[in-house]
Amino acid sequence: MADATTPVEPATAALGELGELPGRMAATLRSLQAAADVSFGCSEKDAIHREDKLTLYHYRPIAPTANLPPVLVVYALVNRPYMMDLQPDRSLIRRLLELGIDVYLIDWGYPDGADRFTDLNDYINGYLHRCLDVVLRRHQLPSATLLGVCQGGTFSLCYAALHPERVRNLITMVTPVDFQTPDNLLSRWAQSIDVDALVAAHGVVPGEVLNAAYVALMPFRLLQQKYVNLLEIEDDQAQMDNFMRMEKWIFDSPGQAGAAFREFTRWFFQENRLLKGTLEIGGRRVDLKNIRQAVLNIYGKQDHLVPPAASLALEPLLGTADYMALGMDVGHIGMYVSGRSQRELPQAIVYWLQRR
Amino acid sequence: MAADTNPAGDWAAAMQKAQTDMLRQWSELGQGWVRAAAPAGGGAGSGMAGTAVPGIGAGMATGAAAGAGAAAEGLARHFLQQCERYLGVSRSLWELVTRSAGISDPEQRSRAFSDGLAVLQQQFAGLWAATPFGAPAAGALSGLPGMAGMPGMAGMPGLGAMAGFGGIPGFGGAGSAFGLPALGPAREQQESWQRLAQLAGRCAQAQMQVAGQWSEIIGQALRELSARVAPRLKSGAAPASMKEIYELWVDSAESVYAQAARGAAFVQAQAELTNASSQLRSAQRELLEEWAKQFDLPTRAELNSIHQQLRDLKAALAAARG
Repeated sequence: MADATTPVEPATAALGELGELPGRMAATLRSLQAAADVSFGCSEKDAIHREDKLTLYHYRPIAPTANLPPVLVVYALVNRPYMMDLQPDRSLIRRLLELGIDVYLIDWGYPDGADRFTDLNDYINGYLHRCLDVVLRRHQLPSATLLGVCQGGTFSLCYAALHPERVRNLITMVTPVDFQTPDNLLSRWAQSIDVDALVAAHGVVPGEVLNAAYVALMPFRLLQQKYVNLLEIEDDQAQMDNFMRMEKWIFDSPGQAGAAFREFTRWFFQENRLLKGTLEIGGRRVDLKNIRQAVLNIYGKQDHLVPPAASLALEPLLGTADYMALGMDVGHIGMYVSGRSQRELPQAIVYWLQRR
Repeated sequence: MAADTNPAGDWAAAMQKAQTDMLRQWSELGQGWVRAAAPAGGGAGSGMAGTAVPGIGAGMATGAAAGAGAAAEGLARHFLQQCERYLGVSRSLWELVTRSAGISDPEQRSRAFSDGLAVLQQQFAGLWAATPFGAPAAGALSGLPGMAGMPGMAGMPGLGAMAGFGGIPGFGGAGSAFGLPALGPAREQQESWQRLAQLAGRCAQAQMQVAGQWSEIIGQALRELSARVAPRLKSGAAPASMKEIYELWVDSAESVYAQAARGAAFVQAQAELTNASSQLRSAQRELLEEWAKQFDLPTRAELNSIHQQLRDLKAALAAARG
């Protein structure tokens, strides 16, 4: 170590870095170009129901059945659901299929100007209800398992509280319940937003607005450093392809139907009605005590979008004692694509289902 | 020895400048390539093909399919821009480290670095604000696509940076006229313009507030960086690479931002910008709709009315079906 009293010799490492930079940038650009036509989604599926912008998919089985009730995946409105089935080695859906689960998924589609008046009642008591109808009819069953993801988990909680007889088991993944935990920066910002004015200005709130809010949570990392870090994977085409898939998914954000966006922002973020027990959907109170079936609550211990406390607030609100919280050592997006999730989560879900 | 009288810093500076210039050229070439490729809807990146930049032309000239190709092109452009910023930030910090490290007294060495950072504040604020993502939090909730601080305002028909006021009777460029009560046959129109002007002014003020918040964040981030680096300089353990100091900068900036973004002043400034932008956008649309009505063109309000009627009809039909 240098003596504290002598001048520090300027390191010459910078010269080496700068000398290497052009070559590394060129290699990175070539890898990026090669990633241009990277594919998304990997498991075969069939559209079995369409309604307005929505499509209900059934994934083709790839393994002997586990003889468990079908699972309907209810994804969020704010991003595209192909994150659940991104590529063969990063697909929670594929892992569930390999374990013999019959999987359905709701793709909400891309709302347009005609959807500005579509509200939460339409989504929860309308679209979700009818999709579950289709699934139950196909299987001649009175109830199925709901797997709600992020905002889709919140929808699933509302639905299960309003129609408990149609939900066999409930799985929530990275799902906010308490929207006003101190560590929730997004919620902090949302408190002062005039959501009426925002919706009046846009009708359908553009996905770019939400994207901007998300990247603004960590702007120096998400707007700059992550691109600079591409230099680190200059010659790793597989990693570059992964990056490209993620980049597409992150910014492939549907607009938000204005009425639903207004209700979600006000009722959940600004008034925290789900937690307080004051939420009404379609004129009926959403009482989470009505949920008496088994609940598996999966959350990310490093989730900065839905902090753990926001998910863990669920337990005391439920009417069931059959509740299990499963914390994964991942962030919000890592829950879908990390190696740890791929290895551990599907097995944990199936193990939990088999015991109910 | 040459190293004693002609420190490596001179060579480093020359090389850094050369790299910066090259990076800028690449960015321009990349942008030209994107522009050239875009209208063709998937044509090859001809703008880049044939350029003399080694290692670039071949990869880019292969051409990309439409859609996914366009995404990669955009990403490539963004990558180049971020590299440019990376080099700008890292170079400034590196020069300061190098300069400070040459001072023999440990206390002075540390102080020189801290003082130098204070001088860099404006440059750093400029670096951040100059990007398309400048003031990201401001753009985040402003409700206007594009994510720049106030995107879309200048490009919005009807706003025209208020230039159109000059041609409106009673608005002869005098700001004070906006404060007068509207009179006469054009009273309603005048009120619409007055409202628009007030909202534009409110937006501009809000944007300044947000910019002030960002300037403060950048300043604090530099002080945080100083707190992390100065002790190392004092003890002779200077950051060993540009990448290292860049990452220290990002860590410092995110740490400060995480606190500031929760603060009442930041939240208030951002919310005011968002809310004012939303109201301005609605006012712009109302004005456009007035024009559209003059030409018997359909308006958003009419479409909304039809959508609402359709929705009511669907509900009535569903109820009738039981």
